[in-house]
Amino acid sequence: MRTLEAGQPVIRFESRYRARDGSYRWLVWNAAPHVGERLVRAVAHDVTERKQAELALQLTNQELETFSYSVSHDLRAPLRGIDGFSQALEEYCGERLDETGRRHLERIRAAARRMGLLIDALLHLSRVSRTELRTGAVDLSALARMVARELQERDPQRSVGFVIAEGVTARGDFTLLRVALENLLGNAWKFTGKWEDARIEFGVETAGGWPVYMVRDHGAGFDMQYAGKLFGPFLRLHEAAEFPGTGIGLATVQRVVRRHGGRVRAESALGQGTAIHFTLGGEEQDGKEDVAVGAKTKEANHEPNRRHPARRG
Amino acid sequence: MNPIGAILLVEDDTDDVDLTRRAIQKNDLRCEIAIARSGQEALDYLVAACANSGRNPAGVPRVVLLDLKLPKVDGIAVLRHLRTDERTRRLPVVALTSSNEQEDILASHAPGVNSFVRKPVNFSDFVKAIGILGRYWLQLNEPPPVPNP
Repeated sequence: MRTLEAGQPVIRFESRYRARDGSYRWLVWNAAPHVGERLVRAVAHDVTERKQAELALQLTNQELETFSYSVSHDLRAPLRGIDGFSQALEEYCGERLDETGRRHLERIRAAARRMGLLIDALLHLSRVSRTELRTGAVDLSALARMVARELQERDPQRSVGFVIAEGVTARGDFTLLRVALENLLGNAWKFTGKWEDARIEFGVETAGGWPVYMVRDHGAGFDMQYAGKLFGPFLRLHEAAEFPGTGIGLATVQRVVRRHGGRVRAESALGQGTAIHFTLGGEEQDGKEDVAVGAKTKEANHEPNRRHPARRG
Repeated sequence: MNPIGAILLVEDDTDDVDLTRRAIQKNDLRCEIAIARSGQEALDYLVAACANSGRNPAGVPRVVLLDLKLPKVDGIAVLRHLRTDERTRRLPVVALTSSNEQEDILASHAPGVNSFVRKPVNFSDFVKAIGILGRYWLQLNEPPPVPNP
């Protein structure tokens, strides 16, 4: 009221009211004084449902925190026991085991280590959802170059040509966008592993006035028949022996993109490579799901804009 | 060969105690290992060891390997106690835990942990981590001077 008396408008003032039935309603007020007319024009919006959703979200996040804390502390310790004591068994009793016994022991250890990786991947995915978003200007070209350099250093034998567009910037959370690019470029790196002189591109296009970022490779690609599984956590489209991984990469990318209010879609063709396109918010929100669309397929030629609902993570 | 120093391992999980002993042996660290199974036991041990340090300086551990998730008095509470008590506040403490949650890392650094190390699931990696820790804290690092009783 003091603000209004001082001749200033009141924007988005939230207050809670008790209704006759005893329930509470939340209203958001926008009001402006018109001193000459001795009037105050005010509009109130009932935002009770939004408030309730926020409260529910807060509770869910707290539960997620508790769950992740427990996973992080309690689930990894028994695996260290399985791996450590299997190794002890191998050392102390290995000679009494035959070849099959030793192979079984090695499989127990490999399974424990793999479960450790899956737990870490799960925690990583949940951290992407839980981390507070800190938005700023991010030089995506520099970030992509940094990730590319790291990939090359980890595997110096491979000859991969990176084509990274200059001056690509975005507003977003540096840490999360780094996670997204690590996964996208890391996937491109992995799925071009069997190609000599592979090429990986990063760039930006404009669609409807908004930037659409893109990572493209000319590697293994995937059959679009299974595209619905692309963004689901722990779902993989290649056999582990062919391309190892936990199946968490694109699910993580999708969460990062969604947290920025954007969408992600994939185009791929078996043996020809994959392109992942993503936005970071701003474009028209039409309520459509993140999608995977087939490139160079009959269906795509007939209906280039047809969208397939993807399985959600 | 005489032990070159003592480690206090604060750990309630029997498997992790045995695995840590094994990792220390594998690294040939030749140190005495004291075990505290709870936060309270660790505090009692350390306060007594530091109070008696004038008579028995070798009884003060060169490093405390502290698990964070402990029954009743947890690792962070142990660390806070150690840092607020004049007799124990300079003790080198390494948080050795399964978690790498940001919340745990921050909560350990706030009262002044000397190092935060996540225990790897892979036992070979765990042996390597214990080797690095042991060589650093037992051989390379100069421990803080024993306070006057």
